[in-house]
Amino acid sequence: MAINDERDEKLDLWLHRRGLTPASSDLAQRIILRAQQVPQIRTASLWQSIRELCAEFHLPKPAYVLASALTIGLVIGFSTPQDNDSSGKDVVAAQSFLAVDEAIL
Amino acid sequence: MPTAWPEKDDNELLSLIQNGSSQAFSTLVERHTERFYRLAYRYLQSREAAEDVVQDAFIKLWENPALWQPEKNSKFTTWFYRIIVNLCLDFRKRKTLAPLDDGKQLIDEREPMDETMIRAQEQKMLEKEIAALPERQRIALNLCFDEGLTNQEAAEIMGLNLKALQSLIMRAKTTLKARLKSIL
Repeated sequence: MAINDERDEKLDLWLHRRGLTPASSDLAQRIILRAQQVPQIRTASLWQSIRELCAEFHLPKPAYVLASALTIGLVIGFSTPQDNDSSGKDVVAAQSFLAVDEAIL
Repeated sequence: MPTAWPEKDDNELLSLIQNGSSQAFSTLVERHTERFYRLAYRYLQSREAAEDVVQDAFIKLWENPALWQPEKNSKFTTWFYRIIVNLCLDFRKRKTLAPLDDGKQLIDEREPMDETMIRAQEQKMLEKEIAALPERQRIALNLCFDEGLTNQEAAEIMGLNLKALQSLIMRAKTTLKARLKSIL
């Protein structure tokens, strides 16, 4: 029994004092340098992806004001009814005026 | 005032790495390279191979920092030990290694020559017998005796319950005692 205990203790001691070949002193630096050459894979959540997409289209505030003014202008312009009859009358009047001028010549 | 890099804990550094901080990565590498190398070396018994494994593991983390999920893993070191163990197993499957580095580095020059030689010889025999143990017993032994991890931590790394780990260690020690009977 005592021999067995002694063996146990000796084995534990050996296991605790096992030798080790130390790593190269520049191992950490090598890893850091290597990482600098490797691009990161970025995996983002859905919400983060949407936010990033919106950020891509970010415009400064004056640009929003200008774009809004143009949009409102276009909407108002297209929604105003056009008077087609009056423009037709103008054409007839101009043609008769020209015809009068030619008759004099 | 922001915390200096070396004072940041592992979780803070990992969160910064996930945002692309190479300085956080450098701090983490400098902090832990040595301990992960130790485990890899114990398992592979080759400096070059152990250094390759540690480098691969860190580069994988840098490439894809989302691998670290704090909500799933309690502690960075426990999680990373598991990665190192898996990479060592892969490495061993791919390559056949020389049994042991030359014994030069194992010798402590402060001791008298006879004692040193005897100890080196004992260590060589011990390493040879440890290398002959089944894989899981070898890993359990390395985690518990070299890394100073608690049995619970080692069990977590190996994905075992505490009793299973204790049983692995007991079987490993019984085998070693039997095989080293002549010199113990």
